[in-house]
Amino acid sequence: MKRRSFIRGAAGAGLVIGTGLPSVCPGLAAVGAKPNLSRVEARYYDKLPDREVECRLCPRLCRLGDKERGYCGVRENIGGTYYTLVYGKACSLNVDPIEKKPFFHVLPGTSALSMAAAGCNVNCKFCQNWEISQVRPEQIDHFDLPPEKAAAQAIETGCPTIAYTYTEPTVFFEYMYDTAVRARRRGVKSVVVTGGHINPEPLADLLAVVDAVKVDLKGFTQEFYTEYVRGELKPVLETIRAVAKSKAWLEIVYLVIPTLNDRMGLIREMAKWVRNEVGDQVPVHFSRFQPMYLVKNLPPTPVSTLEAARETALEEGLRFVYMGNVPGHEGENTFCPGCGKVAVQRVGYRIEAIRLKAGRCDTCGTPIPGVWT
Amino acid sequence: MSRNSEPSIPAISALRASIDRSRKKGHHGFAMAAARVVIVKAGNLWTSTGAVDPAVITKMFARGFALLTGEKDEPRAVSSLFRPDDRVGIKVNTIGGKALSTGPDVALPLASWLSRNGLQGKNLFIWDRTTRELRDAGYGTSAERSGIKVFGTDADGVGYETGLVSHLGVGSLFSKIQTEFATASVSLAILKDHGLAGVTAGMKNYFGAIHNPNKYHDFHCNPFVAEVFDTPPVKGKHKVSIIDALVVQYHKGPSYHARWAANYGRLIFSLDPVAADSVGWSIIERLRADGGLPTLKEEGREPAYLATAEKMGLGRAGLGSIETVEETVL
Repeated sequence: MKRRSFIRGAAGAGLVIGTGLPSVCPGLAAVGAKPNLSRVEARYYDKLPDREVECRLCPRLCRLGDKERGYCGVRENIGGTYYTLVYGKACSLNVDPIEKKPFFHVLPGTSALSMAAAGCNVNCKFCQNWEISQVRPEQIDHFDLPPEKAAAQAIETGCPTIAYTYTEPTVFFEYMYDTAVRARRRGVKSVVVTGGHINPEPLADLLAVVDAVKVDLKGFTQEFYTEYVRGELKPVLETIRAVAKSKAWLEIVYLVIPTLNDRMGLIREMAKWVRNEVGDQVPVHFSRFQPMYLVKNLPPTPVSTLEAARETALEEGLRFVYMGNVPGHEGENTFCPGCGKVAVQRVGYRIEAIRLKAGRCDTCGTPIPGVWT
Repeated sequence: MSRNSEPSIPAISALRASIDRSRKKGHHGFAMAAARVVIVKAGNLWTSTGAVDPAVITKMFARGFALLTGEKDEPRAVSSLFRPDDRVGIKVNTIGGKALSTGPDVALPLASWLSRNGLQGKNLFIWDRTTRELRDAGYGTSAERSGIKVFGTDADGVGYETGLVSHLGVGSLFSKIQTEFATASVSLAILKDHGLAGVTAGMKNYFGAIHNPNKYHDFHCNPFVAEVFDTPPVKGKHKVSIIDALVVQYHKGPSYHARWAANYGRLIFSLDPVAADSVGWSIIERLRADGGLPTLKEEGREPAYLATAEKMGLGRAGLGSIETVEETVL
């Protein structure tokens, strides 16, 4: 998927891809490193004595000496000034159904211009996109797609939204933010797919320019976050709270991984937290795990586990609970909490029917929250 | 144990005999000399222009290998570590730019000396993560003139493997230089204080062989430095650690700060990667003490990965179990 996505994007940008292996290693004069990285000053950092900097973008608060990069691998201290190396450097560009993000309550049946730059500020052992998220930008192909051009491409491709996705958009914050600003000016919405490891200040700024945020809540214990995510749970929960309080629409995805985070007691605890902290109207998706990256010793999540998780969350009072990566299952549909009828019918990423009028159930008139226009 | 006088030939003979005894007991060459660390210094290392004298540093390499292997004959010293047809990757550390990298003034004389003593020049190469970093560290014209290949993993036709190496807590793509090009590996690292790891030297140098070193700086790089070293592409090919301690950044590393950079003028050799780095740590502590700085432990960032590495059987971390031989080349 990623390579195809890239090739599509790269071809559009007029790039030539692919080189053969030389039979010998040439000397320095002949080697062709082509990093083509940006050098745009980063936001949210402090300059410290001795040319050190401290990044304030995410909870890691990386403190870096000259020539060092943060954990994300895409922000570098050069002589005491901190730079983003991926501004305007897309590594993936695709037109996806917005259901693929997944956003189920945002303009169903439309396409999102989905873009990414390299990098991530965690290291999930089950990452689906590790080939672009767990690398440094110079290690993969990318192409120039400045914010203005991204906004224009969304319009040209008939996408009412731009999705910042595939990798962790927090680490290309400046690029995402500026694109969202330009897109909004042109009437294009922005949606963010994130792990939620971002500090309150940049998050607040971001929420002012985007329309929806999907947070991957990868587990519900710090132990899981330490062992399998290499991150912290608390800031993610804070992010979810902050998005819920903002004008941006919030959806939550919970990837259910057999034996690691699939205990129903834990899922019940999580569902209670969602209900109590951000409300029962927030959609929660239970997604099916596939063996990937560094977790290849576990089977895909049984459908019965996802069904049990969904049932548990519904029991706890959540109104919109979905199953992901199980095409054709009724758990993909939006049921009206008023009459129980299907308001949005889905098969995989395809919309079969939308029975909504002005954000209300076509059958009984109950409001269904979301971004529908 | 430290010895500052030049060992006599009988001393080398005794070492040779010790090595032979170990081999007869069935030990691999690594194991028998595992806890020996050789430190070589030279009083006249720098020329009047401040450059490293290539003749002097070559003598330092020759002496270091002799003391390390117990072979006073240079080709025999080389052949005790490498096969004649080995393709030897000399992994340098060039992230620190010209002021604080394993520069061409060190790496090129080593490669030349190896090529004069049994290895084929065409099979020797100096490498690091990126060609840009190599260039910034000064590998340019002189490298080209030397005929020794110098290139980064990002060079055309090189790159990283596409298959992940998943080992203990590490999941990484390895540079093809380490996996395919090299049959034997030398870690020629610079000795530096490191804000997160405490110390960066020979073992951590192999972070430059993986695509995602930024992911392994949590918890003071512990256990990740040991675990990366323990991966088959590294442990299976690593032959010798040589630590460039000509200029040692003993505080505020890994970046260069002239205020805390000491002209130390030594090379450290060991077949035991953990022992080499442990001695490097002790040098940093000594320089810190001289500079009135707290210990790394007092700063809460001692290189705990060394003790982890010892527990994993990669070598010896305790100075009490390391025999240090120090010699001055005249």
